[in-house]
Amino acid sequence: MNSIFLAIKTKRYRELLNQLVNRDLAQRYKQSVLGYFWVIINPLAQMLVMSFVFSRIFHSSAIGVPYPLFLFTALLPWTLFSSSLTSAVMSLVSNSGLLAKIYFPREILVLSTLCAKIVDFAFSSLILIAMMIFYKQGITWNVLWVIPIFLIQFIFTYGLSLLFAAANLFYRDVQYLLNLIVLVWMYLTPIMYNVEIFPAQLRWIFQVNPMAVIVNAYREVILSCGMPNLFSLGIALVVAIITCLIGFRVFKKLEGQFADSV
Amino acid sequence: MTEEIAITVNNVWKLFRRQKQRTFKEMLPALMSGGKKNVIDTFWALQDVDLKIKKGETFGIVGPNGSGKSTLLKLIAGVTQPTKGSIKVSGVIAPLIELGAGFHPEMTGRENIFLNAAILGMTKAEIAPRVEEIIDFSEIRDSIDQPVKRYSSGMYMRLAFSVAVHVNFDILLVDEILSVGDLKFQQKCFRLMDKFKKDEGKTIVYVGHNLEKVKTFCDRVAYLNFGKIIDVGPAAPVVEQYQNA
Repeated sequence: MNSIFLAIKTKRYRELLNQLVNRDLAQRYKQSVLGYFWVIINPLAQMLVMSFVFSRIFHSSAIGVPYPLFLFTALLPWTLFSSSLTSAVMSLVSNSGLLAKIYFPREILVLSTLCAKIVDFAFSSLILIAMMIFYKQGITWNVLWVIPIFLIQFIFTYGLSLLFAAANLFYRDVQYLLNLIVLVWMYLTPIMYNVEIFPAQLRWIFQVNPMAVIVNAYREVILSCGMPNLFSLGIALVVAIITCLIGFRVFKKLEGQFADSV
Repeated sequence: MTEEIAITVNNVWKLFRRQKQRTFKEMLPALMSGGKKNVIDTFWALQDVDLKIKKGETFGIVGPNGSGKSTLLKLIAGVTQPTKGSIKVSGVIAPLIELGAGFHPEMTGRENIFLNAAILGMTKAEIAPRVEEIIDFSEIRDSIDQPVKRYSSGMYMRLAFSVAVHVNFDILLVDEILSVGDLKFQQKCFRLMDKFKKDEGKTIVYVGHNLEKVKTFCDRVAYLNFGKIIDVGPAAPVVEQYQNA
């Protein structure tokens, strides 16, 4: 685990990470009228449309909270996850000019993409806060659990991103495959629905999907003011760490061939 | 007397793979009929290359297209690994990055200076005092706060070159980048590189097609063909050998 973040301990690489994140963010507001507002408008529109449709099926009396709030608490971290993966998969390919010319730890390219997405996430979180105020959703200290939950999500995302980004450099099929995976994965994660609509003997599916555990945990601590299911979260943490370790090792092993295959 | 060596290229071999069939539809029948051999074709981009480049030396590499010059530079820059043999580099390398490889078109010239410097391993604090110098050298002060996508390719190149030569380095890798830009700027670049060479004792590895320039600018030259070193030695005779080949 230590070596994974080694690159960031060096000052010059931290600086590079910083500059690359800036570059990613700059794309948002340059030559665009609404600029950063798109980061808010997109999830907001998505939430409104999905709420309009699915609140006919899932009644707030059954879920215990207003459907838009229920949906958005899960949609927000899911959007972070999916947009991180789909951007990270391109992070090496779109920087092929750099890969062929100069050495620096390549994971910085992946990491900078993820960091830029976290900035987006922070902005769009404002909508959730506004919604919580609007629906008068109370919170307790348990809401601080979002920090470890977020970290687990980040570790998991980073591991997958490293794997996909490296694989995409060799076979561009990976980026198309990933779009499919993300789409299917979204429906297999309780974002629009809650796991209770499934019979108990089928719910184990959601235990093995770290994103389902993460999304449920967010809902529990934000909307139900309760503790997350620590057992499930523990499994998610272990899966996240293993994914990250494998991702990092594969990435580092292939790193030497990156410049040959761009 | 032993001179200090900046770059040691030790019996380096580099194997490249070329996939003959690009699509699955083409690949499948080839796999069925002849196995892996039919699909992947390999060739040696470099064969047993052995070089020692001394500190403070200006070393040229000449040879026809596809002779392995750029591959050799990539190996020295550390972006790719040799299949056999080893490479040892002592000192910080600054490659002259391809036209704007590290530039973001929507960002201004000034913002790109910091981005490019970070890619070359400089922190913001280290590069900040040199920004004015970089802008002056690039001669694009009027456009420095414009997005670089509005730049001409010459302006792009001048800025990229300016950043690269103003970072801290011991070894400069120059890969034909100077063929872009007008004559006046080219001369200015060579004057600066002369200064690196004479006053600062920097090592320069220069890959070029302008053979007259190579002859006058470099101390020693390696002539590469089909991935093999044909000859290494003082600039003029080696370049002439290549010209007569």
